[in-house]
Amino acid sequence: MFGLWILDLYGLAWANWLLLIGLAGIGGAVPPIIERIRRRKIENALPSLLETLSDSIGAGQGFQQAVQGAVTTRDDLIAKLFAQALDESHASSFDSALSRFAVLTRSAQIQRVIHLLNTAIEQDADLKDILFRLSLDYERLNDLMNKRESEMLGRSILILMFICVGLPLLIAFIVGLFAPWSGGFQVTAINNMFALFFCATSMLSAAVGGRMLGRMKDVLWTLPFWGFLAIYLYIVPYYLIGG
Amino acid sequence: MRELDESRELLYVIRSLEILMTSGIGLEAALHTLAMGGHGIISDDFSSLMKNVQKGRPLENELRRLQKQAKNGGYKRMLNTLLNNVMSDTDIISTLQTQGSREEEIRTEKVKKYIEDLAGLPESLLTFGMLGPIILALVGLFPQLMGDMSAMLGMNMDPVLINMAVGGGLFVTFIGMALVGMKAHFKDPGL
Repeated sequence: MFGLWILDLYGLAWANWLLLIGLAGIGGAVPPIIERIRRRKIENALPSLLETLSDSIGAGQGFQQAVQGAVTTRDDLIAKLFAQALDESHASSFDSALSRFAVLTRSAQIQRVIHLLNTAIEQDADLKDILFRLSLDYERLNDLMNKRESEMLGRSILILMFICVGLPLLIAFIVGLFAPWSGGFQVTAINNMFALFFCATSMLSAAVGGRMLGRMKDVLWTLPFWGFLAIYLYIVPYYLIGG
Repeated sequence: MRELDESRELLYVIRSLEILMTSGIGLEAALHTLAMGGHGIISDDFSSLMKNVQKGRPLENELRRLQKQAKNGGYKRMLNTLLNNVMSDTDIISTLQTQGSREEEIRTEKVKKYIEDLAGLPESLLTFGMLGPIILALVGLFPQLMGDMSAMLGMNMDPVLINMAVGGGLFVTFIGMALVGMKAHFKDPGL
């Protein structure tokens, strides 16, 4: 609260509004994060499911039988969703169960696979071979996506720490040490400009970090919060050091 | 943007075409299936192609039109393969398999390059973000830090002018940081 009062004192009351919007934004950012974690869990399990289905078909089972077998032997989310889709479509066809499963996963990757499988089933194609090739393709794709995620996450956090936290603190320290308000220095105008600059750069760096991870839209929700944090970490330490 | 969208969808389209045609579906029916959606800009292209074919235009001409419109090299090559198949009945499945493998290699390389290229991004952003404010803070505080000395040295500047210089400098620094950050967008491997 003291920090918010300091912001008000420096004519940066708008930053307090940014905090309110930021907190609401964080609320908005949580559902996409949860959804993404769920979706990636399903997508990462897809190649092994396809391989299991391919093996079962190679052993002489029909596609429907292979799916039912995989659903009963596996205990992950993808199997649960498949089981749910099969349960819900008892009265209708197996094709509609597949479509229902694709809808339940909410994953474009899985919807593509199901679309292809539906067409392959309609054409009486060699499902064993198709499923095996699809499993290899999606395994390689998921490996790449996971690699990007693990390599970029550290850098994205580093950018946030450098620009949103480190930079405002460093400049607040320098300005507070050499031009303290207690020494009669008139720095309100400069501080306001710097506060605006740090707000803009921290929003920019959060957006860049999000883009690096390929989830810019999810990060947009958190931009006001990062903007507020940078202003707060500049003005409040300046006030404390300069006093 | 179009090139990025094409490169993002291309490998899926090649693999889908390969699977559809291995299943015994003809080229036109396969294109029709992909035109129904799920493959972004390439689905839109195929959709416009199918509409024109249904109006009576030859498939070859439509494929040539798409080839001219395409920006991504791999997409152009795939359209050329389709065109060759229409004109001279080539072995499209093996060609698509080769192209798929090639596109997959390109994608893997792109991801590796993206990771390497962005290795120094945090440091570059920090360098821009730190140097600008430090120099500009000194510029802004110079008259006050020097006190009467600045007047004696003949460097007594108008505070409004100084504020404008600091503000302008910070804006330029921000633009510089934005340009550095743009790398993350324009080099995206399209996963």
